[in-house]
Amino acid sequence: MRSRLVFWACCGVVLSLSAIVRAHAADAIAAGREKADMCVGCHGEKGISQTENIPSLAGQQDQFIQWQLVFFRSGARKNEQMQPIAEQVSNEDIRNLGAYFASLTPPRDPKPDDNPDLSKKGAQAAAGRRCASCHTDSYAGTKAVARLAGQREEYLVKALHDYKSGVRSGGAGAAMTDVAYPLSDEEITALAHYLAHLQ
Amino acid sequence: MKSMLSRSVLAVAAIALVAGVGQVRAQEKLHSYQSGNKEFWTHPPDDWFLGDETEAQKGLAPPSGPPTGASEAELAALVKKIKLPPGFKIEVWAPGVLAARQMAWGDKGTLFVGSFGLGNVYAITDKDGKREVKTVLKGLNMPTGVAFEDGALYVVAVNKLIRYDNAEANLDHLGEGTVVYDDMPSYAAHGWKYLAPDKAGWFYIPLGPPFNIGLPPTSNSQIRRVDPKTGNAELVALGVRNSVGGDVDPRSGRYWFTENARDWLGDDIPSDKLNMISRLGEHFGYPYCHEGDIPDPKFAMGHKCSEFTPPVFKLGAHVAPLGMKFYTGNQFPADYKNTILIAEHGSWNRHKYQGGRIVRITVDPDGKNPKQDVFASGWIEGDQGYLGRPDDIILAKDGSILVADDWAGAIYRISYSK
Repeated sequence: MRSRLVFWACCGVVLSLSAIVRAHAADAIAAGREKADMCVGCHGEKGISQTENIPSLAGQQDQFIQWQLVFFRSGARKNEQMQPIAEQVSNEDIRNLGAYFASLTPPRDPKPDDNPDLSKKGAQAAAGRRCASCHTDSYAGTKAVARLAGQREEYLVKALHDYKSGVRSGGAGAAMTDVAYPLSDEEITALAHYLAHLQ
Repeated sequence: MKSMLSRSVLAVAAIALVAGVGQVRAQEKLHSYQSGNKEFWTHPPDDWFLGDETEAQKGLAPPSGPPTGASEAELAALVKKIKLPPGFKIEVWAPGVLAARQMAWGDKGTLFVGSFGLGNVYAITDKDGKREVKTVLKGLNMPTGVAFEDGALYVVAVNKLIRYDNAEANLDHLGEGTVVYDDMPSYAAHGWKYLAPDKAGWFYIPLGPPFNIGLPPTSNSQIRRVDPKTGNAELVALGVRNSVGGDVDPRSGRYWFTENARDWLGDDIPSDKLNMISRLGEHFGYPYCHEGDIPDPKFAMGHKCSEFTPPVFKLGAHVAPLGMKFYTGNQFPADYKNTILIAEHGSWNRHKYQGGRIVRITVDPDGKNPKQDVFASGWIEGDQGYLGRPDDIILAKDGSILVADDWAGAIYRISYSK
């Protein structure tokens, strides 16, 4: 009897702890949603961008979001729009924003792939450059490595060109600069098309 | 400057990236780099630290910490887990000090704190009874080392020692500063530094080799003593690998320093070191000999370990000793006086992490009779989990100590009362 009581007491502690953790995560997401009001103008409702050259953030990796904000804030990653905004956010805000955007349903192109041949070329390029070894097989990313699946096509083109030319410095730059440097324009076009249409 | 900044940020980001994919790349072939050439020193690959990978240690890589450190709730839970000797207490002194490295006090009570890849220097002040963390410098190249002298803040950022005059009165606009010494290579790998002032106002500055192991460029793998007023410098120690901590012995005036030994020889060798410089120009063994008694398998090059100065004390393999201080305060028990407190950053190149704690070394002024006690521990959870990583120690006026943690992004205070 006594051991059973202890057992249930322990379970209760574990349950209430996990409830606390869940509640804490829910708090962070709620706080992040509120803070993200300032992001909507460019990055779109629910983190789905409708604006050219602005990435969607929905379903992006929590740590990736956090690192980019930290890099924008410190000036290590340069962007005229993002730097002044990032300077206004606290560490708490950054954690909440990471939790919020990671919790959103990732973007999904509503239209069918209009150029499957190009996607095939992109898939071959991705295999050849071993993109999945960091970005994972589903291209959903992990930890500090970004989600690519479903990202806006022209933004992926821009990001790869920025890495290739060295314009993009802060955040996982070294690996990406090395990978992007030898990419041809055709490969970049194909990669972006393939990744943008991944479901 | 700009390219150097981005390169260092890249190096740090790469560490995060590599850590994120450790399991994936465990399937691939071993990393191997030819590091003994200037091309490697000036343009190290993003994962340069993996260059001497072995089958036995395959897949180990530096872990990446939380981008914004630990939250205040996490810190409150963390300090409860830290074990200390009876009578000692640890508390969070300042949260939100991201990537916090070396600390230095200003004359008026400002605590200056350097950082790693973020390129920030912080000033922590008391504002209406509340501690305020302000980023006072940005965009520097791994400004890990800071010091304060004659009203000026000094920052060492890889190849530049920079002075900011009348710093405490100008926290909102420190300006560009004045470079007072730059006769140092710009190599990023092990290019981050520490500043240890002596009584004459000169700084001991370590210069680490631009790789894990190899014949180092003649401009580094050494410790110099630099006069920030004139830019004069002397070479005081050779054969030093990665040192990011040291202090002048209040008893003898001699310089003692911690040193991180090479990676990829195994979980249990070689030991990291506590060293003391007894005479000008002493050689401490790198790259020929490690921990005083292990000839390097490749770079011993016919040398015997007996040719070099052995460590005063072997701190253990992969404990990563960084900032250290002689305890000269009056708050701690009497037997703490003039003993050495060392912040151990903890392992990455070891299957089961160790270090991640503060140890105390009791030792005679001549280096005899060293004895180690664990002073503060509990920052490691499981085999490879960090709650935090201590990296520097400084004494406060009241005799308590402050500890910097670059993983949790916080400064702790440890105090004693009977």
